[in-house]
This record gives sequence, structure tokens and C-alpha cells, in this order.
Amino acid sequence: MASRHEGYRRLCRRKVLFIAGFMILTAVVAIFSLNVGFYETSFSQVFDVIWSNLNGQPVSSRQDQLIIWDIRVPEALVAIMTGAALSVGGAVMQTVLRNPLADSYTMGISSGAFFGVTIAAIAGISILPGVGGNLATVFNAFICSLIPVALILLISRKRRMTPTKIILIGIAIMYVFSAVSTLLMLTADSETLADVYAWRVGTLSQVEWGHVGIIFVFVTLGLIYLMLNNKKYNLMMAGENCAQTMGIDTKRTTLTSLSIVSLVTAAVVSFTGTIGFIGLVGPHIARIFVGSESKYLIPASAAFGAAFLLVADCVSRVSGTYGLPVGVISAMIGCPLFIIILVKMRSKEWA
Amino acid sequence: MKVTIEGMEFGYSNEAVVLNDIDLDIAGAQLVSIVGPNGVGKSTLIHCINKILSPTKGTVMIDGRDVSEISIKEMSKISGYVPYTANNSFPLSVVDTVLMGRHPHSNWKTTDHDLDVVYDTLRMLDIEHLALRSFNELSAGQHQRVMLARGLVQEPKILLLDEPTANLDIRHQMNVTRILRNLAHEKGILVIIISHDLNIAATYSDNVIMMHEGRVFKVGSPMEVFTEENLRTVYNVDSEITVKNGRPRIVLLDDLYVDDDDPCPEGSYVSSGR
Repeated sequence: MASRHEGYRRLCRRKVLFIAGFMILTAVVAIFSLNVGFYETSFSQVFDVIWSNLNGQPVSSRQDQLIIWDIRVPEALVAIMTGAALSVGGAVMQTVLRNPLADSYTMGISSGAFFGVTIAAIAGISILPGVGGNLATVFNAFICSLIPVALILLISRKRRMTPTKIILIGIAIMYVFSAVSTLLMLTADSETLADVYAWRVGTLSQVEWGHVGIIFVFVTLGLIYLMLNNKKYNLMMAGENCAQTMGIDTKRTTLTSLSIVSLVTAAVVSFTGTIGFIGLVGPHIARIFVGSESKYLIPASAAFGAAFLLVADCVSRVSGTYGLPVGVISAMIGCPLFIIILVKMRSKEWA
Repeated sequence: MKVTIEGMEFGYSNEAVVLNDIDLDIAGAQLVSIVGPNGVGKSTLIHCINKILSPTKGTVMIDGRDVSEISIKEMSKISGYVPYTANNSFPLSVVDTVLMGRHPHSNWKTTDHDLDVVYDTLRMLDIEHLALRSFNELSAGQHQRVMLARGLVQEPKILLLDEPTANLDIRHQMNVTRILRNLAHEKGILVIIISHDLNIAATYSDNVIMMHEGRVFKVGSPMEVFTEENLRTVYNVDSEITVKNGRPRIVLLDDLYVDDDDPCPEGSYVSSGR
């Protein structure tokens, strides 16, 4: 009798294999990435530095210690977490809102963060009193990126929110934030402008060990929560009425998932800047391999996003004179790749 | 299972009142058809029973409990709903789509029992061969049977269906309606369907609810409800009703063409190319 489900079970195992494959790929690329950059290192140096640091022994070369342990290791860790978080955020938002265009850009989260950065860097305003410099930038970005979802939560207490309405509100907020940010940028001097601009396109080169811990807490807790609730998100695909008759509190599910995604995304982009492409396209590429069932889509998106951002980061590190922002590279490699896959795939293989 | 509706009224706003003083008592293991013209409030009535809409006045009770006080989760174990239109925003396989219906009964893991229920239901509805196909590739009739399967695997005590046979060919219309009636009788559940095919409703229903202008117009057995007079009042059509095997059979009459000798306009034809 069991053979009757064999076909279905085999498909499921194949999906798990894809996810495992992407995870292994991520690990391999992560190790490889520690060796990429203008400062030349060998794998033995890399292992030496990591081994020594894990065992608390001093590293013989100060230069190696600085480049590998203080710069490249945290950068790789943040790349993994950022890629995973943005991609999963997109996957969950697309599923819950039943819209393939939903991501942290169209929800206004990224532009909110950017708005926070411009008011800190250009106008010198810190939302949290008594905080200055880089910390003000991070806090502003975090707080402002929560505004769109906060507004949606507020409105939904009075009025019924459809997925389309939620996305339209997100896009409207995005335009308002962009307009004000652009206005501020017109008044900025060229040096500040360059800083702000670098933030807008997203970069991992500013990452420090101190950031890793904070991002880790948000991303891990967020992804665990989203994964534990995957079935609810999956049922949302059936449409609001049907989802409710199958036992889902649709309003609550929509609002809590949006809030969690928004928190995780805010925590990430506050440090890295707005890295585009992954949140929108990462889940779609994952879908090609594992389908839309959330149980598989969430981990597959996470693994793909992590691997992809790591690769993009390696490329961005060695291109140009001082390296290019990873946000630019990820869009430049990713979008053509995505279009090719989209055109070549028969619609059937999306399932 | 017993559904009791008392003095219920529903409107989307004060001007747009859809349903007016609805009083209904539906009980037992049976197939009930709701019939009536477009826009009369059939779907709205169903949505008030399964808690998707809340009545603006009056109460809906299931086994004496007010529906508004039953949680969404608990409700999903009592009543299932099969919609008229099927939409999946993202591609899912047929099995995954139907498995959604198991949600009220299962937890994180998909068990062999869940899959057994799904595959049994797919076989019953003649779509087991589509199990691993993508839902979005199927025809409208196949969609409808997948949606029906999802409602059935939920194993509810009350099953509400919005035109479950609208896109099906005649064999499957009969097949599906027969399955629903047998299910009601054998498993002791209450099945309520909205139907536009009066002959299908007449052939298989145990009882019929006929609606007219936002109210319940007639309730009773097919023989009691489907009369020439009632059809004229509610649908404004002429009909001729004969009786076959104790059930009414409705023949629709169109006066305009009755005396037309040449029903096919000159110059029009259909050929098979042979």
C-alpha cells in the first residue's frame, strides 16, 4: 500500500536533497570566500588563523589576523545571514500576500531604512536621543524601516486590509520615503553624499564582529518563528476565505508574519544597507527547484539567498579598484540569470 | 448536526441588505440544495453559516452553539467549505493542494494516514492520475474536483459547497452529486450545496431551499419545492414538470421559439470536415 505514495514521497525527498545541496554549497563558498580579496592569502593561512582564534592562541601574523579574522570572517557570516533573511522574508511575504511581487522593497521596509540613514547622515537627526555617529544611523534605519508595517498594523485595526491594499500602501510609503530622501540628498555635500549612496546600494565591507551577534539573534529567532509557522503561510495560498475555513486566523497570520519579517529585515538592512534583488528573486529561484510548499520553500530560499549573496560578495570584493558594493553586483549577476531561468523553464517545472 | 438560523439579516451596508429575516432549521444526515436566481444571496447565506461573514442581525447556531462563539480552529473541524472559483496564486501539486484540507487534523508532519485519505479521495473523484500534476495546469472541471477533494479530506460534519458541479460535464455532475449524497447518508454528515442545475438538485437532494429576493421562499422536498408556479415566481420562467421515480423533472419552455419552424438562420452551419 505504501507504494501508492511513493511518487509523492520521492518528490519530497528530492526537495530535501536540493535544500541540503544548497546548504553544502553555502558552506563551501563561505570557506572559499575567506580566501578572496586583494590581500592574497592561502588556504593554510586561513585555516591557521581560524584554528588559532577558535583555540584562543595568538596568530603569528598581525596582518593575517586583521584581514581574515576581523574582516573576512564576519563579512562571510553577515553575508550568509543577510542573504537568508532577505530571501526568506520575500518568500513569506509573497506566500502570505499571495503576490509574487512582494518583498522588502515593495513593502517600503528598505526605503524606510534608507530614509532613516539620510536624516542621520545629512540632517544630523537622531531619532533616539543621545546617540550619535554610526550608531545613530543604525538606530534611525531600524526604527524607520518599521514604519510601513506599523502603519499597516494601525490601519488594519479599523479597516479590513486586503493583500493588494497592503502592497499598495507599502509602495506608496516607499515613494514618500524616497522623495524625502532625495530631497535631503540634494542638500548634502559630496562626501556625505558618497557615504549615503554607498549605503543605498548595500555593502558588506563595513561589517564588524559587533554586528554579527545582533544580526544573529534577530535572524535566527525570526527564521525559527517563520519556519515553525510554515503551514499557516502555506494555507494562506488558498485564499482568505478558504484558509479561514481550514482553521487559519488569516488577519492575525498576515499581520504577525509581516511584523516578524519586517523586524528581521530591519535588523539586517540597518547594518548592510538596502541590498536589492535577493528578497524578490531569491524565493522565485528557490521555487523553481522545490516548488511553492512553504515547508520546503523557506529553507530553500534561505540556503539559496545565503549562497548567492556570498558569491556576489566575493565578486564585489575583487572588482573595481577598491571593490564595488555588493548590492550592485547581486543585481547585475542575479537579474540576467533570473530572466534566463524564467524564460527557459517550462511553466510546468514551477510546481 | 443541526444548523439553526434565527431572524438572521445580512447586509454589506445599510443600503445593500442582501439577506432578510432568514429562519431555517436544517438537521440530520442529508443533502440539501439551495437554489435561486443570481444575486439572491445563496453564497452569502453559506458564508454566514461557516463564519466567513457575520450576520448583521440574528444568530446562526450549530448544535445549539452560536457560531460567533466558536473559534476558527474549532470551526474548521466542524465545517468544510468548497468554493466556486479555485485559485492558487503559486503553483502547487494536486496532492499538496488537497493536503491543505488535512490541516485541522494534522500537525507538522504529513503522515501516511493523511496521504491515504488524500489518495482515496482523489480516486473516488476520478483524479488519482493527476496527483502529482501542477494544479495550475488542470482544466476548470479538474480544478473543481480538486477543490472538492480538499473539502472532503477535511472530514467535516457539515460540508458547504458553492456550485460544486458548475464546471463539470454531465457524467461528473451526476457522479459528484451522487458521491455527496451517499457521503451524507453513509457518514452522517450534513451536505449543503448551491446549485443552478435544477434537475440535478431534484434528482439527488433530500431537501431543497428555494430563495427569492433575499428571503427563503420555499423549503421542502424536491416535489414540494419544484412546482411550475414556484419556478415562475422565482425565476420568471415557464416550465413543465413531470414526475420520474418519485422525483420532479423540469423541462424549461421558451415560448419565443416554440412555433419557430426554421430555428437555424440561413447560411449558418457547422461541419465536421469529413
